[in-house]
Amino acid sequence: MALYNFKKIMVVPTAKEFIDVTLSKTQRKTPTVIHKHYQIHRIRHFYMRKVKFTQQNYHDRLTQILTDFPKLDDIHPFYADLMNVLYDKDHYKLALGQINIARNLIDNVAKDYVRLMKYGDSMYRCKQLKRAALGRMCTILKRQKSSLEYLEQVRQHLSRLPSIDPNTRTLLLCGYPNVGKSSFINKVTRADVDVQPYAFTTKSLFVGHMDYRYLRWQVVDTPGILDHPLEERNTIEMQAITALAHLRAAVLYVMDPSEQCGHTLQEQLELFNNIRPLFANKPLIVVANKCDVKKISELPEENQKIFADLSAEEIPVIETSTLTEEGVIKVKTEACDRLLAQRVNTKIKGKKVHDVLNRLHLAMPAKRDEKERPPFIPEGALNRRKAMEVDTPKRKLERDLEMELGDDYVLDLQKYWDLMNEDEKHDKIPEVWEGHNVADYIDPDIMRKLEELEKEEELKERAGEYESDEESEDEEMQEIRSLAKQIREKKQLLVLESKEKDVHGPRMPRTATKVEKKKLEKEMSNLGLDMSDKNDSHYALQARRSRSLTRKRKREASAPPTSKTRSQSASRPPRDQSGLRDVKMVKKAKKMMKNSQRDMNRQARKGESDRHVFDLKPKHLLSGKRKSGTKDRR
Amino acid sequence: MPQNEHIELHRKRHGYRLDHHERKRKKESREAHERSHKARKMIGLKAKLYHKQRHAEKIQMKKTIKMHEQRKTKQKDDDKTPEGAVPAYLLDREGQTRAKVLSNMIKQKRKEKAGKWEVPLPKVRAQGETEVLKVIRTGKRQKKAWKRMVTKVCFVGDGFTRKPPKYERFIRPMGLRFKKAHVTHPELKATFCLPILGVKKNPSSPLYTTLGVITKGTVIEVNVSELGLVTQGGKVIWGKYAQVTNNPENDGCINAVLLV
Repeated sequence: MALYNFKKIMVVPTAKEFIDVTLSKTQRKTPTVIHKHYQIHRIRHFYMRKVKFTQQNYHDRLTQILTDFPKLDDIHPFYADLMNVLYDKDHYKLALGQINIARNLIDNVAKDYVRLMKYGDSMYRCKQLKRAALGRMCTILKRQKSSLEYLEQVRQHLSRLPSIDPNTRTLLLCGYPNVGKSSFINKVTRADVDVQPYAFTTKSLFVGHMDYRYLRWQVVDTPGILDHPLEERNTIEMQAITALAHLRAAVLYVMDPSEQCGHTLQEQLELFNNIRPLFANKPLIVVANKCDVKKISELPEENQKIFADLSAEEIPVIETSTLTEEGVIKVKTEACDRLLAQRVNTKIKGKKVHDVLNRLHLAMPAKRDEKERPPFIPEGALNRRKAMEVDTPKRKLERDLEMELGDDYVLDLQKYWDLMNEDEKHDKIPEVWEGHNVADYIDPDIMRKLEELEKEEELKERAGEYESDEESEDEEMQEIRSLAKQIREKKQLLVLESKEKDVHGPRMPRTATKVEKKKLEKEMSNLGLDMSDKNDSHYALQARRSRSLTRKRKREASAPPTSKTRSQSASRPPRDQSGLRDVKMVKKAKKMMKNSQRDMNRQARKGESDRHVFDLKPKHLLSGKRKSGTKDRR
Repeated sequence: MPQNEHIELHRKRHGYRLDHHERKRKKESREAHERSHKARKMIGLKAKLYHKQRHAEKIQMKKTIKMHEQRKTKQKDDDKTPEGAVPAYLLDREGQTRAKVLSNMIKQKRKEKAGKWEVPLPKVRAQGETEVLKVIRTGKRQKKAWKRMVTKVCFVGDGFTRKPPKYERFIRPMGLRFKKAHVTHPELKATFCLPILGVKKNPSSPLYTTLGVITKGTVIEVNVSELGLVTQGGKVIWGKYAQVTNNPENDGCINAVLLV
């Protein structure tokens, strides 16, 4: 099982937390009420349930811990070795073993006490047994405190390891500290590894990804290795050695001819020879970094001989500079090609290849006549391929322009527009006109459509469609039209006038206020109406009529209203006085009313038909236990 | 720094937020208020546990504070007199009193030797028969009541075989048979799990002794070869007496104190 993602391990609780959580869970999830007078089997069952529940919880959680943590034998040897280097295999196995033992002990304790509880003949005895059982289980767990702490630390570190896939295409960088491995990986991938002038900046393995030939490649950066025997190596160097030993990758051994790393070329060669056995069966490339400082040709004779020797052994030596980026791509392509070739070779030699080969069939069309039919490659493709190989920039990019101009650069995409009239490129176009979006009316054929419309209009005009027939109307209609026009104009003027008035608040409609007779006559005469017959007019009659109604009538004590027709609408007696002769009777009637209402009031009823029953002590407010904190209100 | 420590990497490259230290300081100073609010508002079982834990914490804090305080001050030790320096007029008297005490001790021992052992628990509550033995009814109509079952923890020897079930009067259930006891050595203050050799005496009744019933106060014999004790003559001691100090039927285990 080649697992390499350890992020799914559940948190390992501390001993104290574990105990607290389990005990509180037992208290919450099992029944809590038991009495002395219950039947003994019921009491026994109650306490046995608690013991078994606690045991079950402990067992489950410990089992989860044991299964989550990877078994060193089950994972890929690279990760097994890495974990051994980082966490010490023995300690790891011991910790897990202790947890296993603890789990078994807890099970045994629960079994024993459940067996004993069968002989419990009183509630006290059963309760004491349950208490003893839970106490023993918790003590067992308390003893595992250090194991649990260690496992939690391992889990945290493990989940943060970089996810390196041991089976995929990988490039491995190794060499002395400070030679430029991390700078290389920064240049080739998007990994942001710290690059600093002091040695051992990289303290653990770093992984970055890059693409080449439409495939994903891993690039693994290791901490620098110093030259001493294996036994003396510290944890950091051992990680690099582990990676070298287990990952089937192309190895890039980075050297520094300029000796800026602080180690001479001889020492670097020594190290190379020492770890040579680890490079067996792996495509190897020697990268001479920092060539901007010193080229191989500038080196003294012995040093140049070293590189010559290496190339004589068929190990390609490539000069690079991560600062100026020369040779970096060359190293990448060379390493990737070699690794790919090796992988393909191994696959061909293996057994699975036949599954694939059997399904592949390259069809060659048979010749049917003598005509030559070579493959057609368009000119543009050929040119582009040539351009790619030559590796020159075709046109000036915006980015280059930006770098040149620096602060003065302004992004102007309008200069690329393709217009009929080149001067119009930088014109400002409005976005909204007269409430319409200009963009809604953009149409590539708009000029053509406009011309067509104009032609149509011309035709129509010539045909005489737009001539209006004015002779059909007679004089009356024309008079009416002109009058209507006048009326409309006057109305508009009035509206404007009224709008000018500064009126606050709601306006009374014209019909609500009284209109004075003089004003009415004046306005009407202004409009041209004949106002000579004033007395017979409708408004005069109305005025006369209303005058008689608005005069106040003296109400006599005992005289009933004389004429009903006139006064019905204007002066009706109120209902509590209608049908009553005098004030004495009115008072008596009132008293009678109050008497009858008093009984109703006492019964809190509105009237005889009121049968509503009030709920003065609602049950939902007054029943139930009052938990703490709510004693002063309900 | 490993590759996926993103927080630390960001901090290294861009530093902290401008108000980070201020906020951190304020949050830490608010903790005391929040803790006290929590302690005041908690109710129920959770509160009991929390207060117990807090009480223990406070005791520790007070102890450390006191320790620190003591270091600062100097205390006068008046009562310190060098040992052996006794004023002249007390010299002879002391010797006398010592002699008296010794002879008294010898007298007392002679009195006690007659009846008692020197045991950690001299007096224990006597367990009645109804407590220790439960009546088991037998017979076709469940009328016969001559069988008894022991309800307390008991010890049966290695070569123990039951009598034929029809005739056995006292039933000692297998679930209540124990072979090992947790024995504490009173001077070493260490506890060992030692196999039981037998029940010497049960203070409640000689019947229980013969049955092997172990209750509180019973004297049992345990196999102490694990301790590696040796007599003056050079012989290895492998059996010693111990007295049971707990109620084994309630705790599920036998705790005893070695009688030295």
